[in-house]
Formats: sequence, structure tokens, C-alpha cells
Amino acid sequence: MANLKEIKRKIGSVKNTQKTTNAMKLVSSAKFKRTEELAKKSRVYAGKLTELLNEIAQKMQQSNAEGIDNIYFRNVENPKKVDIVFITADKGLCGGFNFQTIKRTNQLISEYQAQDVKVRLRAVGRKGIDYFKFNNVELMNEVIGLSAAPEFKQAAELISEVAESYVNGETDKIILIHNGYINMITQEIRVDQILPVDTSKLELNSASTSELEVEPDDDDTLLDALVKRYIEYTMYYSLIDSLAAEHSARMQAMDAATTNAKEMVKELTVKYNKARQEAITTELIEIISGMESMK
Amino acid sequence: MELMKLEIVTPDGVIFDAEVKQVTLPGSEGEFGVLAKHATLVSLLDTGVIVIEKSDSSELAVAINSGYVKVDEEKTTCIVDGAVALSGDDSDLAKALEEAKTLLKSTESSNTAIAAAVSKVEHIGKSL
Repeated sequence: MANLKEIKRKIGSVKNTQKTTNAMKLVSSAKFKRTEELAKKSRVYAGKLTELLNEIAQKMQQSNAEGIDNIYFRNVENPKKVDIVFITADKGLCGGFNFQTIKRTNQLISEYQAQDVKVRLRAVGRKGIDYFKFNNVELMNEVIGLSAAPEFKQAAELISEVAESYVNGETDKIILIHNGYINMITQEIRVDQILPVDTSKLELNSASTSELEVEPDDDDTLLDALVKRYIEYTMYYSLIDSLAAEHSARMQAMDAATTNAKEMVKELTVKYNKARQEAITTELIEIISGMESMK
Repeated sequence: MELMKLEIVTPDGVIFDAEVKQVTLPGSEGEFGVLAKHATLVSLLDTGVIVIEKSDSSELAVAINSGYVKVDEEKTTCIVDGAVALSGDDSDLAKALEEAKTLLKSTESSNTAIAAAVSKVEHIGKSL
């Protein structure tokens, strides 16, 4: 019977899909472990760097009543131009991971546009680029490959370029959006203000009383270097964070897909058995009724 | 001699974390040594070599490209971009020396700073 054959073919194809999704899950879990290792290592460095920046900023704030007088700290009340850098994955099949970032980016764009602020977009990751290209939104930068294999040098180059346009006055604010990793089953959209450095976020506790000596004497030299390194590292760390989140999201999505495929195979098997039974019954009735008519 | 805590952190993680007697750092304004109870200080670090005198008085050198150091009364924290450790008991010292030299040469510092650091590395290599 044609129907039987059809169901059998379907079972085979679903089983194949299940194999693929399961393999993808395994690949992602292996990659995830590596990424997490990387994240763990760089977290220490990022933490120390932030700590140091905190202390310097605190010291400068104490010595200057009007706040910190440095280009990276100047806070524009009403920004006219904003740069948004957002990170998505290069690949799909990871649930709503990419779309969450895109959605948040879109939301921010419309928020800023409502305030008459010019927004420039810089995209990292193929999925985000594809989306905004499809919707005819202009992108300042398009970086492919970096979100799948974060590399410090490349990340630093990208963000330095953005920072330069900030120093030149081409933009008043730089925002970084990425989907960060919380744990195996949760990801969280993180929106960070890269520049100007958000002093409200720095923990400026006035508890430390010890005089801080700075070398070179000129505060700005040190602060400039530190801020530059800080944003470079924030960018790099966000890439790693995003990659870890991507892999965990994909693991989750592929796990769900594998389970669904399993369920489907089960359902189809029941259907197949029913159809087979039906065919047998029909055949039996045919034979019996044939015998009856012979009598 | 009083000991102090020294920590060296690179983007690849913590490479050194122990109690030491003294550390000599390549500051951007010149080399300086730090002992326990040093006044609080933050400095840029230039391309060069960090020389550590460990608690057992043995010396350890770490070649770095650039970074920062924060010194306070109880602890010294170096945040560096790239580092290669050169220690005497390392069997592949030659390899470490090569690595250190490549690291030093890859920076954007002035040629004299690089040359000074490279010669220092070579000197350490001979003395170990």
C-alpha cells in the first residue's frame, strides 16, 4: 500500500534529522566547553582592568570637583549621534539567539530615532548583517567570522576604529549589544555603554583614603591608555561571552529538536503500525468474504 | 625580609600569584623596584622584563610587551598584554627565550626600549 511506504519514508527522514541535530548538539557542547574555558581565563583580566580603571577614575573625581575632565568621560546630555555595535552569530539554528539581539537593536534604534538622534550601526556576525541588509538598513561596518572565532587583535582594531570616531566627534555615544551567557539554559541581552565611560557604573566608593601616585605624572596619558585597553577588552570579552551564549543556545535548540524528532518517530511508528494492521484486516476480510461467497 | 603578594595577569589568565621578596618593573618613566609596604602607585609598563625575587631568593624573569601595574601596601598587581616567563629550571629555556624575543619585538615601543629589553633577556638567558 502506498500509504505504508510513504510513512516508512517519513520515519527514515525524521530519523536522519534526529541524527544531524544530535551531532550538532555534541559539536556545540564541545565548542562550548572550549569557549567557557577562554571566558574563565579572560574574566580575571577583565576584572582586574575594571578594578584599576575604577580606582583611577575615583582618584580623578576626588581631585576634581567637576567630575573627570577627560574626553572618554565627557558626558553629553543629549547625544546627537549614536553608534551601535551589535554582535550576532555567523550561523543560525540556535533558537531565538540571534533574533533577540536584532530585536533589542531595533528597539534601541527606534528609541533613539524618536529622540531625533542619528544612529549608525556596526554589525558583527553574518546573521545580523543579513537581517539589516534585507531590510535595507545601512551598516557602517560588517564583520564576518569574528563572532565565531574571537580574536583579540581583530576585536581591538574594530573597536579602536569606533573609538576614533568618538574622539573625532563623529559620534557622541557608543553602545555595544550582545546576547550574553548566564548559564546553560539562559542567555541575557546585554546593552553596554562603551563610550563615554559610564561613571555611574563604576563603583566610586570614597572609602579609600590612601594617596594614589600615578606614573607618568600626567593623568591623561595613563587614563587614555587604560580606557583604550578597557574598551578593547570589553569588546573582546563580549565576543567571547556572545560565543558562549551562542553555543549554549544552540545546544538547547538542538536538544529540543532531537527530542521532537524522537517524539515524531514514535508517532509515525504508531501510525505505521495502525496502517499495517488496517491493511491486514482489509485483506483478511477480503479473503473471508471471498470464501463465504464460494459456499 | 618581609614578603608581599605579587600577581601577574594576562588575557590568558593569571600566570603568577605568590608571595615574593622584591619585584623590579619596567615602568614607562624608568625601571623601578617594589618592596613590601610600598606606597600606593599606578604606573604604565613599557616593553621590558619583570624581575621577581621569590621568597626562596631565586630569581624569575618575565618578559612583557606592555601593561599596567598597581601597587598598594599589601599587594602588587601587574596587568600585562603578553608575557613569557623565563625561569632557570625550565628545560626548554631556549624556546622560551625565543618566544620572549618575538614578543618584545612585536610591540610598538621605541626601538631602543625593545633593544634594551632584548639584550636584557639575552643576558638573563646566559646567567640562568
